[in-house]
Amino acid sequence: MTNSKIEPSQIVREFNAPRQLVFDAWVNVEHLVNWMFPVQGCTCEYLSFDIKDDGSSLHKVTMPNGFEMWLLTKYEEVKAPEKLVFLQYMSNEAGEIVANERMPDWPKHMLATLHFEAVDDTRTKLTFLWEPRNPTSKELAVFEASRADHGKGWGAGMDQLARYIEAL
Amino acid sequence: MARTKTTYDVFSAIGEPKRRALIEKLIVEEMSVNELVNAMQWRQPMVSKHLAVLKDVGIVTERRLGRSRIYQVRPEKLRPIQEWIHQFEKYWGGAMDQLDAYLEDIQRKGDRNDKQ
Repeated sequence: MTNSKIEPSQIVREFNAPRQLVFDAWVNVEHLVNWMFPVQGCTCEYLSFDIKDDGSSLHKVTMPNGFEMWLLTKYEEVKAPEKLVFLQYMSNEAGEIVANERMPDWPKHMLATLHFEAVDDTRTKLTFLWEPRNPTSKELAVFEASRADHGKGWGAGMDQLARYIEAL
Repeated sequence: MARTKTTYDVFSAIGEPKRRALIEKLIVEEMSVNELVNAMQWRQPMVSKHLAVLKDVGIVTERRLGRSRIYQVRPEKLRPIQEWIHQFEKYWGGAMDQLDAYLEDIQRKGDRNDKQ
């Protein structure tokens, strides 16, 4: 089932590295453990990995404060060096998907699609698309509401809201 | 088909663009329904309908001022949303910062090795 109404969230980044290397950094565990975490000071460990079409991986990220989280990644398409498609889930250490209790309506299935384009021999443009797969209408509403760039003025409104909340 | 009454939570309440527009207005200053009608250029029933949903989930509260009711946003009710609004950018944006630093690092090492 496809839902043409979903507009993915998008991050576009350019890296000063050749395309093959940027792609490898996403699919080779020797690379992944060095960077696959959201902030400096985390550690990352792969408990299992089979990164190929229909493969999966399970990795643990330990935050600087000691908080541990496990992430299950199900790979759908691993097409070197241009495209990577995966679903990623919060899981437990056994690789069983766990629901996010604090955000019951956050979409269960989040799909990431990555396109790697060579800008030149030493630079690569990465387009990262992030969208819910087959969301319920409630999940879709939550996803839509979560976009910083959603609709006119909402982005600016969110910035303002963020500052407001931070100041509380 | 009979329609059942929709129940809202904070997340679904802000899924509707008009309600987000109301929140943005009321964050800046508290307003009465009439002031909102003027500011938004919507009909009064539309304003009231969406305000009711926001009140239902506690994002907006009202106080009486003379004969009118003044509405204000309770930003702390939006905190759960705030926490994951930036989930994508924060998590993956952060991861890509790490990737960027890592790629720089290994290529620099590579250059050094080449020169040796």
